Amino acid sequence: MSTVTGANGSVWAAILASGIGAFAMGLVVILNEAGVFAAPSLYGPSGGVSGRTTIAVVVWLVAWVVLHSRWKDRPVDARRVRAVTLLLIGLGLVATFPPVWAVF
Amino acid sequence: MQLFSGPSISTMVHGVVLGGGALMALFAALFSLYAMRPAQASAVPPAAPSRAVALLLVAAAAALWLTVLGGTYVVFPPYRVTPPEGVTALAAYPRAFVLADPSTAWLHSFGMEIKEHVPWIAAMITTGVAFVATRARERLWEDEEVHTTAMVLIGLCVALVACVSLLGVFVNKVAPVQ
Repeated sequence: MSTVTGANGSVWAAILASGIGAFAMGLVVILNEAGVFAAPSLYGPSGGVSGRTTIAVVVWLVAWVVLHSRWKDRPVDARRVRAVTLLLIGLGLVATFPPVWAVF
Repeated sequence: MQLFSGPSISTMVHGVVLGGGALMALFAALFSLYAMRPAQASAVPPAAPSRAVALLLVAAAAALWLTVLGGTYVVFPPYRVTPPEGVTALAAYPRAFVLADPSTAWLHSFGMEIKEHVPWIAAMITTGVAFVATRARERLWEDEEVHTTAMVLIGLCVALVACVSLLGVFVNKVAPVQ
């Protein structure tokens, strides 16, 4: 196995978009808990979680479409994209961890 | 006496069938990615096995999306129903029931709060990896960077879904949706 050269943009667009989606989820949750931004409830019986999760999914899909259209035919720096993706996922997970909300 | 109510059946489908199915598919995909890992580019697995791994990942992503959508829009509403004023028998109101006792309040303030958001992150990550496994299958097996990243991300999703499932078991044990 080795690092393969060539147009790998569509692969890393999909992976980075998942990191952006995870970060968006964490950001919406932490802003909600800090009282800065309350996502609207899109389905009353479920409450605010319906708005928070919908916003994160929309951000994820938009990021994926934009990244895919820009990167699909060109090579990207895999290591850098992987590092950024893992950082974004880590931040997203930390922000959705309830004990962290006590900081705000 | 009714053995299972509609909401309790929905909860079982959500947790056991869909969530459990997603966890099994994720673990099977992770194991396959590890076991079929080629030592060199020329030893890339044949098309059929690598296509099977792609199918596993697509199945895991589909099960996760059905789990989070069902959880948020079908199972969660009866869990969070507010009891009418003056009601003291809270067994039919799971959120109020666990919050009423300090020893079980963490099931909502920690467990359910995590369950509301983290599975969506796992669904997005798994979908991204499933896309790679279906649309760039050769690269998944030939490119070490891509293969390692896929294993790390699916391994993370296995851990996330397992933890969230365990929290769901705890909540449903103490305050089942009836």
